[in-house]
Amino acid sequence: MDKNFKRFILVFFLALGMTSLHTLYAQGGKTVTGTVTDPGGMPLPGVTVQEKGTTNGVATDFDGNFSIDVASNNAVLVFSYVGMTNVEQAVGSQNSFTITMESNEESLEEVVLIGYGSQERKAVSTAVTKVDTDDFNQGQVSSPVELIQGKVAGLQITRAGGNNPNGGTAIQLRGVTSITGSTSPLIVIDGIPGGNLDLLQQNDIESFDVLKDGAAAAIYGTRGTNGVILITTKKGKKGKSTFNYSSFVSRDYVNSKPDFLSADQFRAAIADGIISANNDLGASTDIFEELVNRSNLTQYHNFVASGGNENGNYRASLYYKDSEGIALENGREEFGVRASFNQKGLDDKLTFASSVVVNVNDANLLGGNQFGIVTDWNPTAPIYAPFNTSEEGVLFNQGRYGFYQPENGYNPFSEYANRFNQRKQITFSGDVKLGYEIIPGLVASVFGSYQRNSWNDRFYRSTQDYQQYNTGSPYFGTGYAYKGNHIDYTQTVEPTINFTKDFGDHGFELLGGYSYQYSTTEEYSMDNSGFTTDGFEDWNFGAGNAITDTDLPRPNLSSFKEDNTLIAYFSRLSYNYLDRYFLQASVRHEGSSRFGANNKWASFPAISGGWLISDENFMEGAAWVNNLKLRAGYGITGNQGIPNYQSIVTLGTGGKYPVFLDGADGATYYQTYGPVKNPNPDLKWETKKEFNIGVDFGFWFNKLSGSIDYYTRRTEDLLLSYDVPQPPFVQGSIYTNVGNITNNGLELALSYRVFEEGDFKWNVDFVGSYQNNELTTLSNQIFSVSELYGGNIGNPGNLGDAIRNTEGGPIGNFYGKRFAGFTVDGKWLFHKADGTIGRASDMTEEDKAIIGNGLPKYYASLTNTFRYKNFDLTILLRGKFKYDILNTVDLFYGNPSLLPGNVLTSALGQYNNITEAPQYSDYYLENGDFVKLDNLTLGYNFNLGENSPFSALRLFGSARNLATFTGYTGRDPEVQDTGLYPGIDDRNFYPRTVTVTAGVNVNF
Amino acid sequence: MGVLLTIGCTDLEETTYSELSESNFYKTELELVQANLRPFTHMQAWLAWSGQNGYYYHNELSADQTAWPQKGRHGYDNADHIRQHYHTWTDQEGRLNNAWRLMWTGLGFVNTAIESIEAVDAASIGVTPERLASIVAEAKVLRAYHYMKIMDMWGNVPIVTTVGEPNNPPTASREEVFAFIEQELLDNVEKLQPLSPQLIGRMSKAVGYSILSELYLNAEVWSGTPRWEESITYADKVINGEGGSLTGNIALDQDPLGPFNNTNEDSPENIFQFPFSRQNDFGYSWASFYMGFSNMTAALDVNYSGNNAFVVIPTAFNAYQENDIRKQEWFLFGPQYKFGTEEPILGSEEYNGEPFIYVNNIRRNTEGQTGEGSMTDGEENSGARFHKYRSGRQEDPNYLEGDYVVYRLTELYFNKAEALMRLNNGNATQEAVDLINASKVRYFTSDDWADEAYTTTSLTMSELLIERGREFIFEGKRRTDLIRFGEFTTGSWWDHEPSGDLNLTIYPIPYRQLQANPNLVQNPGY
Repeated sequence: MDKNFKRFILVFFLALGMTSLHTLYAQGGKTVTGTVTDPGGMPLPGVTVQEKGTTNGVATDFDGNFSIDVASNNAVLVFSYVGMTNVEQAVGSQNSFTITMESNEESLEEVVLIGYGSQERKAVSTAVTKVDTDDFNQGQVSSPVELIQGKVAGLQITRAGGNNPNGGTAIQLRGVTSITGSTSPLIVIDGIPGGNLDLLQQNDIESFDVLKDGAAAAIYGTRGTNGVILITTKKGKKGKSTFNYSSFVSRDYVNSKPDFLSADQFRAAIADGIISANNDLGASTDIFEELVNRSNLTQYHNFVASGGNENGNYRASLYYKDSEGIALENGREEFGVRASFNQKGLDDKLTFASSVVVNVNDANLLGGNQFGIVTDWNPTAPIYAPFNTSEEGVLFNQGRYGFYQPENGYNPFSEYANRFNQRKQITFSGDVKLGYEIIPGLVASVFGSYQRNSWNDRFYRSTQDYQQYNTGSPYFGTGYAYKGNHIDYTQTVEPTINFTKDFGDHGFELLGGYSYQYSTTEEYSMDNSGFTTDGFEDWNFGAGNAITDTDLPRPNLSSFKEDNTLIAYFSRLSYNYLDRYFLQASVRHEGSSRFGANNKWASFPAISGGWLISDENFMEGAAWVNNLKLRAGYGITGNQGIPNYQSIVTLGTGGKYPVFLDGADGATYYQTYGPVKNPNPDLKWETKKEFNIGVDFGFWFNKLSGSIDYYTRRTEDLLLSYDVPQPPFVQGSIYTNVGNITNNGLELALSYRVFEEGDFKWNVDFVGSYQNNELTTLSNQIFSVSELYGGNIGNPGNLGDAIRNTEGGPIGNFYGKRFAGFTVDGKWLFHKADGTIGRASDMTEEDKAIIGNGLPKYYASLTNTFRYKNFDLTILLRGKFKYDILNTVDLFYGNPSLLPGNVLTSALGQYNNITEAPQYSDYYLENGDFVKLDNLTLGYNFNLGENSPFSALRLFGSARNLATFTGYTGRDPEVQDTGLYPGIDDRNFYPRTVTVTAGVNVNF
Repeated sequence: MGVLLTIGCTDLEETTYSELSESNFYKTELELVQANLRPFTHMQAWLAWSGQNGYYYHNELSADQTAWPQKGRHGYDNADHIRQHYHTWTDQEGRLNNAWRLMWTGLGFVNTAIESIEAVDAASIGVTPERLASIVAEAKVLRAYHYMKIMDMWGNVPIVTTVGEPNNPPTASREEVFAFIEQELLDNVEKLQPLSPQLIGRMSKAVGYSILSELYLNAEVWSGTPRWEESITYADKVINGEGGSLTGNIALDQDPLGPFNNTNEDSPENIFQFPFSRQNDFGYSWASFYMGFSNMTAALDVNYSGNNAFVVIPTAFNAYQENDIRKQEWFLFGPQYKFGTEEPILGSEEYNGEPFIYVNNIRRNTEGQTGEGSMTDGEENSGARFHKYRSGRQEDPNYLEGDYVVYRLTELYFNKAEALMRLNNGNATQEAVDLINASKVRYFTSDDWADEAYTTTSLTMSELLIERGREFIFEGKRRTDLIRFGEFTTGSWWDHEPSGDLNLTIYPIPYRQLQANPNLVQNPGY
């Protein structure tokens, strides 16, 4: 879509929003009096009595009496009190009222999803956290899971790459559970296991239910180990049909940039003789600033039509979003529709639910990855320069088409001008669920879904691209084109049967089901070069001369397919006695094609129980305890998140070799074939066993509520490639089940209604977690590995891996040399194992030691919600504590030996004594603790009179990543903290940003 | 519902699409050959300068001719190359473990091919039993060659001829491994075809004889018993043309670049080479070990660049006299220019923007350092560089069509001369002198030659080692030669000082391999 059309859309919808900014009030009135009591007849002082839709309000006195002037007989009074359910009373002709308020047990009545079913909150005996729309983070999010960042204890959501619209979000629950398998929770969207997050846009989500412990997740068997996130989308509601329009615009602002030498500072270094004079190329360019898209603007529009009656409901949601990153050529434009339809029939016995979802997006992948050029770019180099390769007085430039081309590195603007890199993606899902109540309480259902994801990639480098025409280019100045297509789809069929029956004080619910899921991926791609014209781009592959011209690189063709099948039988029994004692047991028997012939199938049982202590007679004296529940559960889950075909021997190609066939004059180069892996018919799932004990509580009319959970989990039979004796095996390793990881931790969620009187309300929500983990074993009698290295620091100098995870140790230990100072002439000195001190060339493996740990031990977030009259203000603070960060930017670029490449200003200041190439040691480890002002949202809900065409109108402004409080000297202490190699601030220079959003939400 | 549960699909067999399963292969003669050639394409990874850490890396960097010094911010690489140069390696070396895995994977490919081919019923796929037997004989000679190189690295290793069995094979002594190799060669070499253009890159009779000559030349080190006569016997078979040749008449190539240029498949002296062909999609370059950074691309007018890794040790470069054509042709040295011009190549690190000049020292000249320098004191232009093999310019029709040579006739001349001298108490015979002079005369003008020709007096054992070094520099053979001459642990070169520790003549079994196979025995001294 072109820019003008985008602007038109923006203006049109903003104008639409503006028309709703008028409010209307009714006229005329009388005085109403009365008394408010609790269910026992005791008067309630301090109850807020408010005329609905106005700011007119009073409070009851010490005896529970009130007196209020209302506008007319049409007025409605709203009675509200902490811990009590609001009461609405129409005034009518009456002048006096006695109001009885009931205790608010909202949190107990909440319905929680548990996978293939739901439960009332009070019956839940496992660790499940629910987050509803009201509690979502507001403002622009790149991935829907960011809506609940900082809202669920133990759930880590990290965007280590900054706010890149085409970047990824890492999700991890309760720590690392696997070394080579999946560590991300299973996503289930409206019952589709393995749901694709691309199919969700933020306004369509009703709630997240996070199944945290093993007992909760075991119903998902071989995919339950990393927890399960059940996402429910919004549905139509019974009643008047409504429209909703919501929209926002947002912009990213750079909040920190790496402090590299400016042109002036670079010239000063030349003047000081630190850099030779021929490095002054005459211009002044701040390449970082040049690469920033200051005018970036993201816009979002969502239009929803919904409604329903007694027998059915519908909802259709259309959206458009155009995201621009902080980088040039770094955007994503998408639109889509989600339509859902539900209907009942045959005396309400037959239910039908279906939804169809489509997301279409175009991503511009060309930009966003060029910020690393700040390290290579000479700040005195121009971006544009005439072609000149003689050195007489004018700038030496090999770039023929107006762009300066540096000897080392590249010119990103030349790439922007002469390349494209696009992905066009379509994601689709359709699902249907048909249920029939055979006899009361017995419901048979069948659920089917089809999810398909496809994309076309296009890449082109024109004849004017430096890589195509430079003197060493194998393309001899011709164009290069690539195309790749990808399709994957998943078919799921899940028939279930559910029976609910109460026998006196005993309640039962029994579930049985079968699940079949088939997934496949198909890809092909091709490339070609030798395009003498740019007129075709990638649309006429046959025109590329490399097909026949053997002086050009050979064109590549590739295609690929894989598939896998997952089959399961599952059952669950839920039982309660007196609605006070709860017991739940489930089992899933599941098989996966990915496992070895001897181990295709496994069973995953779980059991849990809950005791609603606050319902006991002996608690009657403690009226301040509104809710107290003890629950405990144990469950076994699996992990089948590994590549396909790992258990069988396959033959792969090994390069071509000449063969003279009988009678042939010349050789033909044929592919050669050999085994690519060692077989493992015993390959099986990783098993996680988890025990969880928790307490849910609500005190003082639920003014303070929350939950505490303690868990201990052990993942066994970890999959890893192990060295096998070679000989006799062909390949050096086998993929097999050996090690164990244990995690344990404590999670706390607290909600405190600090103040809730009159026009002012203040809620505080806290979630925090502590986590401890250990790589218990990596070895057994046959296979052994004592450590896992990772977190490669990279070049120059090939500094190797930063992190070593050892058997028996925690995850994320930095392992390296111990800094001991510098020699007088600025060479590195390190401690040796024998207590002496030596230079870098004296160091051996034995001299390295554990020098830090990159995994945060504590996570905490604090949400403050303030409401005053029609205003609401949300402040989210989020932090991570007790971990180290390896500052690789300082390590490499705070070192003068990297001159005349560009370096940090500190290389000529604080670090100017260093005369030797960068070395990895604890010198560059820093404490990573931080607290972020992560989200600040201010909203206003307009009072709308009856004559208003709108039934609700809200405006809001929001800022994300507004401030960071930390001692860390690098750019952003929020670095990758999931997986086995956390805590490395890598040299991804994608800018960290503050995102500012303004939005409107209107119902009519 | 119940019906669904019982008839529900429970088939979980995996179907492959983009890889082959074994049951679909070994069905035609061509497929047998394709399986048999897999170890050949793999072998270049460890035997040649592929950039992988295999036999070549260790045999060069631990010896006296090449080194991979740290050059400013580049090349520290965990001090791996530094330890190779100073002989301070341990059993924890990652690159040594890579070499082990690479070489034994190659051996696994051979064993897979032999097992699979021997299991084939010749008649059912229309191949004669004789043809099948010759395919197996070729594989067995190749296996013996693998074992010879594995033994050269680690000495005492298991002998295994089947895939997957036994699970933890025990270490055999170097003498036992030697005996196994010898027997396999004697049983199979005569079944091979003579070398011809059709057998380029394959195990031919000439290759088999060359392997035997090398095996016997090193027999004293490897088995404890000298076998000089047999080394001569097999060298003679190659020299006499009994093993065949590429050109119909095996002879020394009089062109100093003939065996190494991009048409070296027709060099009269080449015996065994990896055929590479960019046009046939098996292109190959030495860039990653020997080529400079991208600034050097224009000097050679090519389209590749490398890691600026290996350099020539100053003392090795000094071993050549100025009038030696090899010094002029086989090295890049001094100021570098864009191909065919006077336009200087510019440096990109210490000499950024300044003319780029290779110097014969490894030290921080930009910082005024003097003396011999060290492995951590390199700069981007330290040391003379490799130029022995030539890819040709981009516009050359044979650009990157050159082959990597493993055996060439000159080596058999040297083998025979050395064996003759050893049988003569280390003194040259006239026959030995004639053999070495036949090689050396190619590199001097006729005016110079009178002063340069060896005599029975001037060709001492130490001179033979030096000349062997000059001739085979960059060919991945130097460590073996130094060990055979007793110099590996007693010699000094550049800043390398002798360890005096004979245990260093075989590498330690990598620590990770000892963990994986408890029946492996660590070599003495580690």
